[in-house]
Amino acid sequence: MNVQQDGPIKMDALDPANALNMPEMADMTFAMDFLMRAKEGVRNIAVALTETVSPQARALLREQLRQGIALHQEITELMVRKKWFHPYELQEQFKLDVLSLTNTLEISKQKLFADDTSRKGMFDRTPDEHMGGSEA
Amino acid sequence: MINEKRLAAHEALDLHEIINFKTLGLAKSKLMQGLVFDQELRQLMEKDVQQTQQAIAQLQAVYAESPFEAPVPEFRPTPILN
Repeated sequence: MNVQQDGPIKMDALDPANALNMPEMADMTFAMDFLMRAKEGVRNIAVALTETVSPQARALLREQLRQGIALHQEITELMVRKKWFHPYELQEQFKLDVLSLTNTLEISKQKLFADDTSRKGMFDRTPDEHMGGSEA
Repeated sequence: MINEKRLAAHEALDLHEIINFKTLGLAKSKLMQGLVFDQELRQLMEKDVQQTQQAIAQLQAVYAESPFEAPVPEFRPTPILN
């Protein structure tokens, strides 16, 4: 009996094969998002700081800039330790980049949600609205 | 100068940007903790949540001196859904 597959596995949200290595891939993605946010935060605050004159606002932003830089360092170190980020081995980083873009592209092609997500009528009033507050 | 305590317009606009950035970051760091598998990563996100909560509170206090400061309604003024 020939059990060989004739093509690459088609992505399907319900295929358990996709659960293989999923936690690592997911965590790597979340960590990358976190790192980018920390990085963006440092830049945003630095820009705001150079627009500020009020001493109170300056002191606040300077402290938050310092905090942001520290957080960025912590995330970077964690990612390097977990091998989610390779700032020196660029070929390793290249592999991760392509792996995660491929995975994310495949996920983006799936139908994940219902056609209508407006959820109209579910949030516009409370269930007890027709009653007085004392009866509800 | 009548309003020495007030922030300059450009300062207030930068605060507006930082506050919104921090608010979105707070939501992300909080919600993603429910998706993350690695507990160390989760702890780092929780640290970010704690720091950002404080940062937003401090920024909000300064933002109150904005030249376009206004009374805040209890709810969003107009309902999104009909």
